[in-house]
Amino acid sequence: MVTSDLLILCAAGMLVSAYLMVGQKALFTAIRLYSVQSLLLGIVAVTMAVSESRHELFATAAITVILKAIVIPWFLMRVIDRIGIHREIEPFLNVPASLLVCVGLTVVGYRVSTGFPVGARNVSHHLIGVALSMVLIGLFLMVTRKKAITQILALLTVENAVFLVAVGVTTGMPLVVELGIAFDVILAVLVLGILVHRIVDRFESMDVSRLSKLKG
Amino acid sequence: MSFVGVDGLRAVFAILQAAGMLAAAPLLKAVIKKMKARLQNRQGPPLLQVYYDLAKLLHKEPVRSETASWVYVAGPRVYFAAAIAATTLVPVLMATAPLEAAGGILLLVGTLALGRFALATAALDTGSAFGGMGASRDMTIAALAEPALMLGLFTSALAAGSLNLGGLVRSVLHNGVTFHPSDLLAFAGLFIIVIAETGRIPVDNPATHLELTMIHEAMVLEYAGPDLALVEWASAVKELLYLTLLADLFMPTGIGTSTAPGAIAVAFVAWAGKVFLLAVAVTVAESTNAKLRLFRVPELVSISLGLAFLALAIRFL
Repeated sequence: MVTSDLLILCAAGMLVSAYLMVGQKALFTAIRLYSVQSLLLGIVAVTMAVSESRHELFATAAITVILKAIVIPWFLMRVIDRIGIHREIEPFLNVPASLLVCVGLTVVGYRVSTGFPVGARNVSHHLIGVALSMVLIGLFLMVTRKKAITQILALLTVENAVFLVAVGVTTGMPLVVELGIAFDVILAVLVLGILVHRIVDRFESMDVSRLSKLKG
Repeated sequence: MSFVGVDGLRAVFAILQAAGMLAAAPLLKAVIKKMKARLQNRQGPPLLQVYYDLAKLLHKEPVRSETASWVYVAGPRVYFAAAIAATTLVPVLMATAPLEAAGGILLLVGTLALGRFALATAALDTGSAFGGMGASRDMTIAALAEPALMLGLFTSALAAGSLNLGGLVRSVLHNGVTFHPSDLLAFAGLFIIVIAETGRIPVDNPATHLELTMIHEAMVLEYAGPDLALVEWASAVKELLYLTLLADLFMPTGIGTSTAPGAIAVAFVAWAGKVFLLAVAVTVAESTNAKLRLFRVPELVSISLGLAFLALAIRFL
């Protein structure tokens, strides 16, 4: 299998996982899907590192796999276990309608990616298309889901998409920036995890739409 | 290709392929059953048990309801005939389907739909509650699964520029395997469809006769003896057919392009290996998922419909 095939396969796999996340109500499965998605991102980074001999990408791949495919999913699963809420009961939009919207978003993302310069054909075209679609799907998930955990996962999906472009299309980011982002992500997840605990403590539910009742 | 030049040869080829698929289909069912049993720490029935069961059923005297009309008798026969006819439209060992001049993707989907229609009307014929319930459930799922199947197949057809399955495989072999994101999307969509159409676990449970959950089994609950054997055999053939189709469309490497014995032997090993890999995937999916509530099944099938549609849309962009 050629390098470009492997890259496209992984990117398409990430898109499928984002898509399945939309069609999924069980929180555990959604977290596992995120873990698989991060693993695929790690494979993309390793492939780029080997094929273009950019050795600093090995560090990126290691950070991605350890942090996003193992630590964060483990932490989120622990949070769910603690608070004992396992399902997204009723999103603002039901599953078939969400899927339909996401199909539209992906088409938009792909269409926009064709507007990039001619140099960005083939692999880059697909990577940018997938990443833009994932950003849009992630934003859509954040808006339509009520559970705080799903919203965290959506944010992380957007972050994965941005990373996909950074690793696959650009010449890469300096290691310092990457470490900074990694640290940011882990902090965000920790803070959000604590926030989820607080929300559940106060409202006995993860439903963030209830937060509007806080208004005086 | 010289070996398909003469009509007579073509007919022999079609008969051989149909016979081979008929003979191999129960084995696939047995292998999946065995692997599933192993995953559950059970021994599982021996691989040949499926053949013994079929032989036993075929030797029995048919028992039919007094209210049954000819529709009831015709149902399993049309279903069986449709499954056999469908096997001649799909390339298995050769990069050509025996009767590919008759039609391609549309004919294949139509033939399978004809079989399903015959079985559903036959289930309604005796007027029993179970038959009617099973038929209505099966049709509900089929109505969603069929467009998804078509869209998924069209995605591959669009890339190859041919609606003909033989032509499709040949064009992929000719142009070399180039990968496009839509392939993975279409594969994921079609895999869900295969699970739904063959009545495997997230959708239907082939191992139980629990009245609340069964779909396909409820439809054929009234059949006994040779009639039942025909239904089960045809279902097995359909399953093998779907897995072969997935292997053809998404990993055609190794399929034979000449009639040399060596090439056919290689093609046979490749085909058996690919179908076995897909069977493993089906088994894992079946063992790691819980059966969905009936009203959530359309949700699952709509995911695959969305994936297939997306695959088709991305092809154009």
